[in-house]
Amino acid sequence: MAQRVADSERGARRIRAPRFAMALPAWIWFVFFFTLPVLWIVYYSFGYKPDIFHPIATDKLSFDTYHEAFSSTFLHVFSQTLQISILGTALCFLIGFPFAYWLATRVAPRWRGLLLGLVVVPFFVNFLVRTIGWFILLSPNGPVSSLLQRSGIRSEPLHLLETRGAVQLGVVYNYLALMILPLFVTLDRLDPAMREASKDLGASRWKTFRQVTLPLSAPGIVAGLLLVFIPLTGDYITALVLGGAKGNMAGVMVASQFTIAQNWALGAAQAVILIAMIMGTVAVFAVIALAIRTIARANRKITLPPIVEETA
Amino acid sequence: MSEPDEGLKILASPESAQRISRRAFMSGSVVVAVAGGSILLSACSSSSSAAGAASSGAASPTLEDQLAFLHWAAYDDPKLFKKFTQEFGPATSIDTYASNEEAITKLVAAAGSSGYDIVVPTGPYIPQMVANNLLQELDLSKIPNFKNLETVFANQPWDPGNKHSVCKDWGTVGWIVDKSQISRPINTWNDFIDVAMNEASGNFSLLDAQNEVMGVYFWANGIDWTTTDQADLDAYEAWTLQMAPHVKKFESYPGYQFASGNYALSHVWNGDARQGFNSFKDPSRYSWGMGAPKTELWMDNWTIVQGAPHPEAAYAFINFILDPANSLQDLAFHGYNTGITGVKEAAQAAGYPFLDMIFFSDAQLATMQAQEINAAFDREVQIFLKMKAAAGG
Amino acid sequence: MSALEAPAKRRRRDLVDVTLRVWGIVVYAFLFLPILVIVAYSFNNGRAMLVWSGIGLDGYRTGITDPTIQDAVKTSIVAASGTALIATVLGSFAGIALARRKGKWTVLFLALVFLILVTPEIVDAIALLIWYVRIGGPFGPNATIPAVSYGMLRLWAGHSLFATAVVTLIVRARLLGLEETLEEAAADLYAPPARRFRQITLPLMFPAVLAGALLAFALSLDDTIISSFVSVAGASPWPVYVFSAVRNVLRPEIASVSTLLLMLTLIAIASVALVLRRTGQSGGDVAKTMTVGG
Repeated sequence: MAQRVADSERGARRIRAPRFAMALPAWIWFVFFFTLPVLWIVYYSFGYKPDIFHPIATDKLSFDTYHEAFSSTFLHVFSQTLQISILGTALCFLIGFPFAYWLATRVAPRWRGLLLGLVVVPFFVNFLVRTIGWFILLSPNGPVSSLLQRSGIRSEPLHLLETRGAVQLGVVYNYLALMILPLFVTLDRLDPAMREASKDLGASRWKTFRQVTLPLSAPGIVAGLLLVFIPLTGDYITALVLGGAKGNMAGVMVASQFTIAQNWALGAAQAVILIAMIMGTVAVFAVIALAIRTIARANRKITLPPIVEETA
Repeated sequence: MSEPDEGLKILASPESAQRISRRAFMSGSVVVAVAGGSILLSACSSSSSAAGAASSGAASPTLEDQLAFLHWAAYDDPKLFKKFTQEFGPATSIDTYASNEEAITKLVAAAGSSGYDIVVPTGPYIPQMVANNLLQELDLSKIPNFKNLETVFANQPWDPGNKHSVCKDWGTVGWIVDKSQISRPINTWNDFIDVAMNEASGNFSLLDAQNEVMGVYFWANGIDWTTTDQADLDAYEAWTLQMAPHVKKFESYPGYQFASGNYALSHVWNGDARQGFNSFKDPSRYSWGMGAPKTELWMDNWTIVQGAPHPEAAYAFINFILDPANSLQDLAFHGYNTGITGVKEAAQAAGYPFLDMIFFSDAQLATMQAQEINAAFDREVQIFLKMKAAAGG
Repeated sequence: MSALEAPAKRRRRDLVDVTLRVWGIVVYAFLFLPILVIVAYSFNNGRAMLVWSGIGLDGYRTGITDPTIQDAVKTSIVAASGTALIATVLGSFAGIALARRKGKWTVLFLALVFLILVTPEIVDAIALLIWYVRIGGPFGPNATIPAVSYGMLRLWAGHSLFATAVVTLIVRARLLGLEETLEEAAADLYAPPARRFRQITLPLMFPAVLAGALLAFALSLDDTIISSFVSVAGASPWPVYVFSAVRNVLRPEIASVSTLLLMLTLIAIASVALVLRRTGQSGGDVAKTMTVGG
């Protein structure tokens, strides 16, 4: 029997493709349609705009365009974008975590799948159409405004549309599911026995939550934060539809260099800055999170007294 | 092989210990296969989508089956497109833009591969478009209805001899104000700016076109808007940064939006304003004002894109739209003067409303000025984009 | 715990329970609010979506008969089908390789996948547009591939990027979650690699592949930014049509067609869920598979 096994293995070993062979088509696809185009954009960011009708020239490469991109007005948009996206991510977490916790711990297991699916259903409506839904809701003659006016809470039409607040609301709405899903998955996987054990050891509910549930769900939290923060910062549509002039976000600014100004060098430079800003913020928060974890761990350290030998 | 005698060990994890149904797998594969097949079928049939090409009348046998427009929005009566398709055959499709810069960017970026046949640029942009090989030369013999155009609207300075363009319509710019929110009369651009920064602050819109915004400043300050003087441009830039925080939105088609109460004051083109008025339940609540003391005279033109895949259909359409009856129908829809001989009298005879927003007196015409694309253009565009960035509060 | 303490604990638990449940309902209301608004306004009988003028089916009638809308929806469905095919094939094989053939290359590949998921879509859109124009060929007007327009090729390549990355991760997660023991057992029973793959690996990862295909389809249907930048005349998908409508005049047809598309998507998902059910997956498992958590 061992001989037969060895024979078939030898046969299989005759032609041995490299380990990554099956991933090669995807790799080529990615490189050709992602890596190369994006590298091309980075290359363009060192060019300049020669005249009105030519969007880019790369005979003279320099950092001049970056100087222009770092001008105060444009930087202001980047900082505002960061504010909206950090606040938006935080709001998504504050709204999504209790919801995911409820779904994972308080709902009977046989209903969880269905209710989770229900969360996702709104997100099968087109992103743009969902945002239009908010456009209608928030418009001065829309249902919310009429309701507020008729019930006497407000005396004049609602002016929430075309403001930064509308964009904040819109992005929280559009990315909430991306926070709920990974949080639910992690919380769902948590063994309830852990929480029960903690309570059996006398910990209060809050302490259990803080020292058992929260740390154990850390991977899901991290995934949710990343899944929301990253696309939110580059958001283009929500800002365009709901923001008006006030809701200018970096994505819109980058796009308008390409769609209106025809200045590909400047647009490319701003795009590179946008990506750098996203990665930079993630790195900063990763460092902070690691620091918090180290401190928390140090606090929780138990130093056992030296073992005293008991005789007899 | 170790331990062959230990009985059958359950090696599968609980989830996968279920029945791995061969049928389910097959049905899944069928779905994928059907999807794959439908791709090829749909891709094959997408090119033969001529809508009821019962071409009655004098249709040239060489017309293609499609016609692709890169066009402003709500700029032609959709019924006319249907009529064109019924009479001539080609099915029409429209992709829109909100400013000339956008249209040019799309064509330049595509470098001849955009797939559009007709684009409708404003006059002053045409010379550069021609210089950069974006437009085809026109064969006017294929447009016999060209003779219907009043001679004063042909042979414009930006396109002598109509080598690349034919007048579609012309118009001007001004404002709509919601009188229930703004009681002050607005007679000039200075009034407009003043109201915008005060009563209407945060509740007004500017056109999403850099040349129009530029016009507001220069006309209000009595400066020729074709200036290339850097001091003038610096002053313009300073003004935009002052104005930016008060702007609610950069909006090129605010006419309809007034009906939902989105703005108290809007910078608007006359035809779009008229379309808004046609939709208002109570038109007396609003008022339209033409820009004063000076304002713009712009002319939009039919042009054929270089590399257009369906040129014969394009010629057929341009000829079709220059027919007096069709032109009148279009005018009633978009509200701009199409320049066809006798169209004003026909409109009056047909009793269309709000004609004062379409046809202007000679005195009014004298205050209108055309734009010029010059060396200041790039800077003006960047000032506009900076204004948008600053408007973010 | 004395009997006196127990009732106090139960009451507190109820308050937290009730609060959580109320929160759950609030969140559902929040999530569905704009959807309900869209469905409601799809029955608006007026010319402009924002101006309510009576209930009626005008929006649906116009939406179904308008040739531009028909073209847009057809383009969207064809684009989504092609994307799902490409993403599923490329992503599944990549996922298998990542899970079963780990090596030094794994980190590099995962880094690339991560980069794709991290890059803002607007950057992708701009880069692709410039790239397509630069390389021309099958993505330019002089394409010689029969029966498929170059516009559609642009959409397939552009949409499949993100979708392939997602499918890769889903399949990888699924296979990592299953030990290799089944495949090893098959090998021990003398099954050659191809047969092992066909009869063991493939059916095992089938739920992930199906979920991935569905996700790729939905992602492509939803893709707006890349589409609006790279699309050409005659190959404009539905979101591009909506996008240009947003920037000038919104009409009720948009809401009507969106409602119809939502119904269709739900039916598709329900069918997939049904198929997965028959392989024994629970609802939670399906959800977990699709959220890369399986």
